[in-house]
Amino acid sequence: MLRVRPPLTSASSHPRVPFFKQVAMARSKEVFWWSLFSAGGALSALFLPAIVAVTGLAVPHMAGNEHAIRHDVHQTLVWWPVRLVFLGVIGLSFFHCAHRMRHTAMDLGLRHASTALGVLFYGGAIAGCIAAACVLRTW
Amino acid sequence: MADQTITLEVFRYRPETDNEPTFQKYDVPYRADWVVLDALNWIKDNVDGTLSFRWSCRMGVCGSCGMMVNGVPRLTCSAFLREFFPEPVRVEPLANFPVERDLIVGLDSFMEKLKKAKPWLIRKEEKPLSEGEYLQTPAELARYKQFSMCINCTLCYAACPVVGHEPHFLGPAAIALAQRYNLDSRDQGRDERQEIVAGHEAVWDCTFVGECSQVCPKHVDPAGAIQQAKIASTIDWYTRFLLPKGQTR
Repeated sequence: MLRVRPPLTSASSHPRVPFFKQVAMARSKEVFWWSLFSAGGALSALFLPAIVAVTGLAVPHMAGNEHAIRHDVHQTLVWWPVRLVFLGVIGLSFFHCAHRMRHTAMDLGLRHASTALGVLFYGGAIAGCIAAACVLRTW
Repeated sequence: MADQTITLEVFRYRPETDNEPTFQKYDVPYRADWVVLDALNWIKDNVDGTLSFRWSCRMGVCGSCGMMVNGVPRLTCSAFLREFFPEPVRVEPLANFPVERDLIVGLDSFMEKLKKAKPWLIRKEEKPLSEGEYLQTPAELARYKQFSMCINCTLCYAACPVVGHEPHFLGPAAIALAQRYNLDSRDQGRDERQEIVAGHEAVWDCTFVGECSQVCPKHVDPAGAIQQAKIASTIDWYTRFLLPKGQTR
């Protein structure tokens, strides 16, 4: 028997809808935020311990030591692709945190305020990204 | 051993006489090889024939004897009294479902959700019988076999906090079964299911608490199925955005 596929009516099934409009549409926006959450979780699990070890322990130790930071180490850390990697990991970690916090708050009974929670937490993550970019720019 | 007893505190609600539910205590002979379902049947046969509960196979296959046992969703045919003895055992109907009578819950909403997930093989075109069966390799079978072990016992719905908050949430078993058919090499119905599965009241409502997989008596891992479905839906979404119009993955 030939099954007739029903007409698809939701926003995300129209490829010509611009990206920003797709993000704004109800069914799609969870996909977008979840993808940032998921990427943030994976990247922070892989790289955050190494970044903390390098920037939080190794570099301060070297800086406080009588020997200055080796020039090539310093050059590597301030190389712009490395800064971009740091920004990616830090920024996506903010979104990972924001998404988890929003859904935890919803699970705790604030489901009716999901939009406000989204503005609060995702807004906070965007602010965190901007702050991280500012710090890394002058690093 | 023969004289030992164990106390069952059983949830009672008879809508024709009770205004609200109560708990009734029964002292039941303790046998190390008895399960909670045996104790309930002993009560029904020897003490109180009005006690109502569902059961059928007594071997963890039919999925009809799910109840809350000391607050945990369990198949009562596999919850041994020796796990709890000498402490009393509290038996209640499955959480997150409306109670119809005593330990029996209404499954109408679950059946509706199950139907929405379309847990059956969908073909866009059936090939003629003369071309033979739809063959499948062991590797293709292995992709979905775990999710096909679901017996619709609904323990995962009783364990899921999102089901409790959000009655419209499609729920773990229905999503796992949708994923089971999406992963089946013989199936061509993923697009049909996506309209429901990728929607707000399905995978995106799940906050990955993971209790569904903890309580599943058949080790289906519905939480894993939901994560797989989220990843597939996300790839769909970005693919639609990135690929030229009309193309899909």
